Amino acid sequence: MRVTVNGRERDLEPAATVAALLVELGLEGPYALVERNGEPVERDRYGELALEEGDRIVVARPVAGG
Amino acid sequence: MVDDSLVIAGRPFSSRLIIGTGKYPSFEVMRDAVAASGCEIVTVAVRRIDLDEQSEAITEWLPEGVMLLPNTAGCETADEAMRVARLARAGGLPDWIKLEVIPDHRYLLPDGEETLRAAATLVAEGFTVLPYVQPDPVLQKKLEAVGCATVMPLAAPIGTGRGLKLRQTIEIMVEQAEVPVIVDAGLGAPSHAAESMELGADGVLVNTAIGMAGDPVGMARAFRLAVDAGRVARLAGLIDESETARPSSPITGLITT
Repeated sequence: MRVTVNGRERDLEPAATVAALLVELGLEGPYALVERNGEPVERDRYGELALEEGDRIVVARPVAGG
Repeated sequence: MVDDSLVIAGRPFSSRLIIGTGKYPSFEVMRDAVAASGCEIVTVAVRRIDLDEQSEAITEWLPEGVMLLPNTAGCETADEAMRVARLARAGGLPDWIKLEVIPDHRYLLPDGEETLRAAATLVAEGFTVLPYVQPDPVLQKKLEAVGCATVMPLAAPIGTGRGLKLRQTIEIMVEQAEVPVIVDAGLGAPSHAAESMELGADGVLVNTAIGMAGDPVGMARAFRLAVDAGRVARLAGLIDESETARPSSPITGLITT
């Protein structure tokens, strides 16, 4: 299954969850923020929300800033 | 001692200094500066993670108990800012948002109309909204009316360090404020922060002046002292200015008469 993560295509297992994607990216910490097809994903749903072919995912986090 | 907490949206803070986390030479220095400042709120930006070159997470370096205040820096429209706020909250950051809508790259001046639009929507969605604005007492009233938790006027453009260039308008905002006024941006020296507090601001937000200082940790401490000094002075009551001199020593009983 192909999805786009931060603008780049990536192969995932079919029906991989958001949580599985974050583990694969090494981002399972407390502050990975996820958007799927332009909609924010609630942290409570990371473990259950299955991604679909063609999904556009943004993964963000807090960084230094004023 | 009388409780003199800064209360934002019902939540008390003993420190009136908010620190930005940008521009420090290292996370280690930032951590120490945050501690030296005594602040209880720090701002952070929200950005896409570079998946090719992952760097350390800033959150590893922030002490427990310091509240993260995500900002919408980089957003040029209300829609962009709302998107960032929603993403931050959904992912587990606080539902407090430092709302910045800045279409102007040269002076980084915020768009009041778009800020108000985003503020109204985000408040309705349950966010605690702290909008960054140009000093504007009329806009202040509109932001209060839609339920903003603070109003944060700039002293001078972001990063300029020029101090209270817009002092008189900020004084009007202080006079008519119904929610805390926090002077945000443009403060370059602790004396600017003290001046802000003396004129009645409820708090100040400082980033560049600390992060870019020769010794950010020392400067963080200096700002902490200045904010405290200015606040205590405000509460103590400053004297009125006088056009002419007023002697401090008795004018009678002079030795020479």
